[in-house]
Amino acid sequence: MSTPLLQVENLVKDFDGFRAVDQVSFTIPKGRIIGLLGPNGAGKTTTIHMLLGITTPTAGRITYFGQDFATHRQACLQRINFASSYNTLQGRITVAQNLIVFGHLYGIRRPEAKIRKWADYFEVTPLLHRRYWDLSTGQRTRVNLIKALLNDPELILMDEPTAALDPDIADKTLSLIEEIRRTAGVSILYTSHRMAEVTRICDEVIFLDHGRIFAQDTPLGLTKRIRSARLRLTVEADRDTVAAFLAERAQTFRFSQDHTVVIDTTEDRIPELIFGLSERGVWITDIDVEKPTLEDVFLKIARGDANV
Amino acid sequence: MSERIKAILLQELYITRGSLEIVIDLFYTSLMTVVVFGLVSGFLTGVLNPNTGSYLILGMLLWDVIRVNQYSITVGSLWNIWSHNLSNMFVAPLSLLEYVIAGLLSGLLKTLVIFAMISVVAAAWFHFNIGRIGVVNLALFFGNLTLFAWSVGLVLLGIVFLIGTRIQALAWGAVFIFQPLTAAFFPLRVLPPAVRAVAYGIPPTWVFEAARRALADPSVDWTSAGIAFGENLLYLGIGVWAFYLMWSRSRDSGQFARNDG
Repeated sequence: MSTPLLQVENLVKDFDGFRAVDQVSFTIPKGRIIGLLGPNGAGKTTTIHMLLGITTPTAGRITYFGQDFATHRQACLQRINFASSYNTLQGRITVAQNLIVFGHLYGIRRPEAKIRKWADYFEVTPLLHRRYWDLSTGQRTRVNLIKALLNDPELILMDEPTAALDPDIADKTLSLIEEIRRTAGVSILYTSHRMAEVTRICDEVIFLDHGRIFAQDTPLGLTKRIRSARLRLTVEADRDTVAAFLAERAQTFRFSQDHTVVIDTTEDRIPELIFGLSERGVWITDIDVEKPTLEDVFLKIARGDANV
Repeated sequence: MSERIKAILLQELYITRGSLEIVIDLFYTSLMTVVVFGLVSGFLTGVLNPNTGSYLILGMLLWDVIRVNQYSITVGSLWNIWSHNLSNMFVAPLSLLEYVIAGLLSGLLKTLVIFAMISVVAAAWFHFNIGRIGVVNLALFFGNLTLFAWSVGLVLLGIVFLIGTRIQALAWGAVFIFQPLTAAFFPLRVLPPAVRAVAYGIPPTWVFEAARRALADPSVDWTSAGIAFGENLLYLGIGVWAFYLMWSRSRDSGQFARNDG
């Protein structure tokens, strides 16, 4: 089995008696995109700051590429990068100057060609000679992503990189992330509040809450943990017949229209309800099952529901 | 030179070139100060002993070595903190040592340029040639004042990292506490005896005293230079230790990461 790009073991961070991160452990294998999710204050940002070396862990061990981060900081940082919609580049100088500085920081002697390549891809070439603080938030985010790709990283830590992007640029960014993962085998640790993005690109999701890992699974696996489902039936039948049948089975329901009933139930009872109504002579003309999404999982965790 | 030190120097060049604030803080302030001190010195030279009259402009030229070096080291980091860019730089493979060396070099380069500029102005407009104190003396004074500025700059930078931008005014203001204490513009004997005893423990005091004597006799005062250098080594040792302690503490407390956001 190959060495994981990142291995986090029992990571702990205490701030003046408050435990912000509590015994967090996970690994990121090559080529995987791992989502780090959780409500505000869950410990995501503190975890990322420790993974980047700008906050010192209270306990635990971080290993990149089989090397201890505490003792091989520079070697590890040379092979990873970071993009965030919250960190900006130096506002007083131009985009090109910023990227040249970061090129040199990553040991690239002549970074201009690489800067041009990514500037074309992200459609910021006309902005290269504008001051960074004159850019819009979306433009800044695209420039930050170029910075994150300058050193051909094997692992990128992304903290809500699309938070400020227009939908089309966000979509393009996600496509790029998928493409660089596919072609270069780049791994990504990805935090976002956009559940559709996480579901689309993440192979695995780690939910943090109160500093601890609350759940860790594939996006599909996590949604399967929620057994509740919403069943919407369009029926040709007497409304009282349907209501009586559902009441007998202690179902929560309401009629959204005369012939449409919405039932909040669990996945395992859906067949029973459909067949039971049919046996009572209810003609079902349409069936729609709303399955739980990752957002439902997120909301349940954020609201303190332990049944996830 | 390390590629990363080059990167920081390049960034400093870009920022300095493109920021009116820095041009005003460093070049314009130095220029205006030398003009004012030159005029006052010219007046005093007319009514006092000519050497005594030159104390002000001499003190001003040498004081700027401290001011510009220290300003550059401390405020150089603030430009990145204000831009939320400091942690971006430290998540690149930049070591603390490389960052500090680049900051010190950048301060030294700016100081050399500004010192040359105001020295030319002092010579051309106010007939004060700093070279009259002797080239070796000048080099020793410049070196000792630079070392002192580095120590102060590192401590102030550590405080900024540790506490954040709410004490940022210290970055350009705190160093002025040493201006009266080191008798930058007047003979040390002017200070009360108790303060004078403290002043002897601060390296620039020896420099300013020796510089004033050198106006009359440019022979090198190796004793004063040696004492100043010895004190500077102690100050620099304490400065580096304090800076590293505060840097480590700011990473422990999470303040370093919060400085950006």
